[in-house]
Amino acid sequence: MAVEFPPEVKREFDELVAKYEQTRAALLPVLHLAQREFGYISPEVEEYVAGLMELPPTKVHEVVTFYTLYHKTQPGKHVIRLCKTLSCHLLGAHTIKDHLCRKIGLENGHGTTPDGRFTLELVECLGACEFAPMMQVDERYYGPLTPEKIDEIIDGLTDEPVVENVDEG
Amino acid sequence: MSIKITTKNLNIPNYNRLSVYREHGGYEALKKALSMEPAAVTDEVKRSNLVGLGGAGFPAGVKWGFIPKDTPKAKYLVVNGDEGEPGTFKDRYLLEFAPHQLIEGMIICSYAVGIHKAYIYIRGEYIRQIKIVRRAVEEAQEAGLLGENILGSGFNLDIVVHQGAGAYICGEETGLIESLEGKKGFPRIKPPFFPAAIGLFGCPTVINNVETLSQVPHVIANGAEWFASIGTEKNGGTRVFAVSGHVRKPGICELPMGVPLRELIYEHCGGMRDDRPVKAVIPGGSSSPVLTADHLDTKMDFVGLRDAGSMGGSGAVVVMDDTTCMVDVCANIARFYAHESCGQCTPCREGTGWVSKILDRILAGNARPEDVDNAVRVAKNMMGRTICLLADGAAMPILSYLTKFRNEFDYHVEHKCCDVKGG
Amino acid sequence: MPTLTIDGIEVTVPDKTNLIEAAKMVGAEIPHYCYHPGLSVAGNCRMCLVEIEKAPKLAIGCFTPCQEGMVVHTSTEKVLQARKDVLEFLLINHPLDCPVCDQAGECWLQIYYMKHGQYESRMMEDKIKKHKKATAIGPTVTLDQERCILCARCVRFCDEISKTSELGIFNRGNHAELDVFPGKELNNKYSGNVVDICPVGALTDRDFRFQCRVWYLDTQDSICPGCSRGCNIQVHYNLDRPHHAEGRRVLRLKPRFNPEVNKYWICDEGRYGYKFIDDESRILMPQVMRNGGMEFVSWDEALKASAEKIKASIPEELGVLASPQLTNEELYLIRKLFVEELGATQVEFRVPPKEEGYSDDYLVKADKNPNTKGAEEIGLAVGSAEEILKAAAEKKLSALVIFVHNLVNSGLDDSLVKAALEGVETLIFIGSNFSDTSEKANVILPSATYAEKSGTFANSEGRVQRIHEAVPPLGESLPEWQILNELARALGLDWDYQGTEHIFAELAKDVPAFANLTYEILGDQGQTLGYVPPAEEEALVEHGELEAVRAT
Ligand SMILES: Cc1cc2nc3c(=O)[nH]c(=O)nc-3n(C[C@H](O)[C@H](O)[C@H](O)COP(=O)(O)O)c2cc1C
Ligand code: SF4
Ligand code: SF4
Ligand code: SF4
Ligand code: FES
Repeated sequence: MAVEFPPEVKREFDELVAKYEQTRAALLPVLHLAQREFGYISPEVEEYVAGLMELPPTKVHEVVTFYTLYHKTQPGKHVIRLCKTLSCHLLGAHTIKDHLCRKIGLENGHGTTPDGRFTLELVECLGACEFAPMMQVDERYYGPLTPEKIDEIIDGLTDEPVVENVDEG
Repeated sequence: MSIKITTKNLNIPNYNRLSVYREHGGYEALKKALSMEPAAVTDEVKRSNLVGLGGAGFPAGVKWGFIPKDTPKAKYLVVNGDEGEPGTFKDRYLLEFAPHQLIEGMIICSYAVGIHKAYIYIRGEYIRQIKIVRRAVEEAQEAGLLGENILGSGFNLDIVVHQGAGAYICGEETGLIESLEGKKGFPRIKPPFFPAAIGLFGCPTVINNVETLSQVPHVIANGAEWFASIGTEKNGGTRVFAVSGHVRKPGICELPMGVPLRELIYEHCGGMRDDRPVKAVIPGGSSSPVLTADHLDTKMDFVGLRDAGSMGGSGAVVVMDDTTCMVDVCANIARFYAHESCGQCTPCREGTGWVSKILDRILAGNARPEDVDNAVRVAKNMMGRTICLLADGAAMPILSYLTKFRNEFDYHVEHKCCDVKGG
Repeated sequence: MPTLTIDGIEVTVPDKTNLIEAAKMVGAEIPHYCYHPGLSVAGNCRMCLVEIEKAPKLAIGCFTPCQEGMVVHTSTEKVLQARKDVLEFLLINHPLDCPVCDQAGECWLQIYYMKHGQYESRMMEDKIKKHKKATAIGPTVTLDQERCILCARCVRFCDEISKTSELGIFNRGNHAELDVFPGKELNNKYSGNVVDICPVGALTDRDFRFQCRVWYLDTQDSICPGCSRGCNIQVHYNLDRPHHAEGRRVLRLKPRFNPEVNKYWICDEGRYGYKFIDDESRILMPQVMRNGGMEFVSWDEALKASAEKIKASIPEELGVLASPQLTNEELYLIRKLFVEELGATQVEFRVPPKEEGYSDDYLVKADKNPNTKGAEEIGLAVGSAEEILKAAAEKKLSALVIFVHNLVNSGLDDSLVKAALEGVETLIFIGSNFSDTSEKANVILPSATYAEKSGTFANSEGRVQRIHEAVPPLGESLPEWQILNELARALGLDWDYQGTEHIFAELAKDVPAFANLTYEILGDQGQTLGYVPPAEEEALVEHGELEAVRAT
């Protein structure tokens, strides 16, 4: 069985579960943890989590498929969420999208690039409309976007995901 | 009058750290509250006319008062930081730059109601904010502001920061509770599942928006009368408007309840981009019916907006100028609700998808003659018949575009194109 | 006990009754999909909207509890319009293929549409495609996702009743779809029930699919003979279309509501256990051993042959193995004929099973017989099957009458069974299907199955329940009670039982546990052994003797 938390992650799992009155309540955070660990939530991961939390696998699958932040397949190295909702739309999200797709080499407008570097998701409002048009790359928000800004952001990415480090000051 | 309360100190460097927060008077209100009778705290909040700023504008103190005093069950406080209503981003600021203000408000609320466990549910994309709030909770814990015997008062409270996973419906309070219990965010049927009676884990639960609770320390520190004196007769204090769209200076903007829409746009948000005229304004998030340029004098509190045929909602103001195609806007909004309907209720699950399909067809110039009327009918049929208000929140704005800008829809149907763009 | 007014009729209902149930009491039907009285309430279909005076919005009947003084209207214009609209929403993504849908005729989408829908079609929308179209999702059930209206009844069933949670609704909004976990099956002891409760043609029974259009089916109330729970069932059959379903007459069993026994459910074992009724192994004619081989004979000849053999045996040489598969009426006649009239002492009905039957803490009982309790009360547990067989093996019996049992496949010692069946001079087998035991018989009397006769069974809790003839006995087979009646006459007794009610009346007089019971009292839900009529009960309560009577 490849799908198993290593001991230190298992400890994290135990700590998470201990915070809640009911084990099941920790399901969303545990799935975030599993996604961090395994990259995405496959049916095998769902079964593993279900086993850990003593839930029917269907209940885990229901949750995984209900929420948009869980990847059901292996995403690219960077996950880009481009907002398409009203404020971003009003300020040209569609042109930004076209540029972004060209930049990362994505042909059909969403999904994962052939080189496996990027996954683009067109998402609903991310709660940063003052930066419209905006996007999220991994953990961080970027906006207002222009074609130049997009080039700059994409060119600045390494192979590591973008992390929000709150202790930078 | 430019009174800022919850956003007053947001620009202070490191205000999200405990030491800085305390330097600026942080947690003094808590001390004061802990010296009061719990009931007196609730009473103070009631008299302040502080209303819920998450969407419904329900008086916060009254809500706290619904929690049964003598119950063998645990009681919970749940903070709604799901902030999913399109256009809304104010809670993001309050979480990121003033997490201790929220925590202080939470402790005061918990003390008033007799709660010992609280959850902050933050939308899953707000990773930066989640990290900051987690750090703040840890700081508070270490400083004896959370945990057992808070500030020697004998009162205990634990806070857990909970990361959502991407679903607008989890902003709806009972959907949020289900989600927090590890399920799909299916809203519950009310009655009987009023959170105050049967909430988280089946226990009495207070659920308030981030901003609502962030106001609480100030209400306690400065008194109900002070707070009530700001704002309007029924809606005390200020609210943080999140303004976006075609204004020069989009962003958050805290103003007294009831500020006229015109003032908000022209005095506080730099007026309109390229000085174009206002064509339409969404005054309280995408679920609120659209206002036209005729409504610029509307008072931006829950009462004024209701009287104008719209609603206060989440305080998200989306301003659109005369280059905006209303068919495009309406179709965009409809797509959002179709994507976000949880899918339990027939009228919402099928209605949001159907109306969106019709509107997309109109927008694309593939409409049939009866499509506009059909969209109106479908939207109407969704209303008042579902478990939660998402269906109404979708139907009302859609109907508002279809009626207030009917000519644009008819033009699209007839000419298979738009007469607005490039105008 | 609130009193409220529904459609102008005042009604007092038990606390917590919802409006759908209350409306039923005044003869009003509130249409609904997601509500099922045996499951928790989901309130999602929105079909059951009704108008309550002074309420701002229409309310759902399934979740609204009756309250004192409530004034409810179930068919105002507003309500009718709401229903119509909900139906329209349900149909917008529903395939318009009733003609090829197996549910047609018992589909609530179709039924309500006829009654409440009926608008000019605005259905000219492309339907959302879903990926499972007529796909088997387990051994018993086929799923068609496009027909699913997402009422979640089946999900709740698997969560709350079978407690196996194989089903879920995945994705959200109008992409939501019902399914099993990827790569898993819907496979539990009660899985067939999801087909019954699915209001549309999304879940259909693999066993029944396309066997027969439901409008050709007739139904008869009965009791499942699969175990001692005695679940109430309906036998669905068709007598006019022998060219369908390989000529089978009984086409499916459905649970019948009985709050005291099985509520709304039956197990799969029982549901699919009907095949023997029309099976090729049915015995269609009496047979008698002649010149070293079995020959088909007339009933007269067979009965005569049987009577001769029985007469020739002295009571001590006569063995009888009755069966807990038989009705009380039949068991009573066995006692009367063999024990009382012929004085047989080697009489028993219990044959241990090869292995302990499956049981659970819900419906299914380990005892796979429907009438063990009745047989016990009637007094047919006299010796033991083993002793009788030993006597046979030791050639101490001259005739052995076996009802129904297949001893060869039982828990009895194989060599003992073999020795016994071969050792006894006359082996009379009375049963409905051939088996390794009937093989060994020198007289075979074909009997009817439970679906072909009337009578009563007493379940493990002593509830006596009626079965009814759904289809006529196959071939020349006859109900055992009739065979016994004829056999008694062939033995020179002047029996003349005209029907099972007649026998039951006598049984009720004779066997104390059955006292006071009549077919009328049994009704369609049965009544327990030791029944005390209400009037007498009152008197007994007054004298504080009820418990004592009950205990006997
Ligand atoms: C569809 C829907 C979405 C909602 N989303 C949010 C949200 O994102 N954040 C929020 O605070 N309230 C939201 N609400 C309102 C909540 O249900 C609830 O009224 C609020 O959290 C109560 O807090 P308050 O009284 O402090 O405003 C939403 C309501 C509906 C019907
Ligand atoms: S109205 Fe829509 S979002 Fe709300 S519960 Fe019903 S289906 Fe879900
Ligand atoms: S399959 Fe049938 S019972 Fe299950 S949710 Fe769909 S319609 Fe309801
Ligand atoms: S539980 Fe027993 S009686 Fe009920 S259906 Fe199953 S086999 Fe038949
Ligand atoms: S039966 Fe009431 S909502 Fe479905």
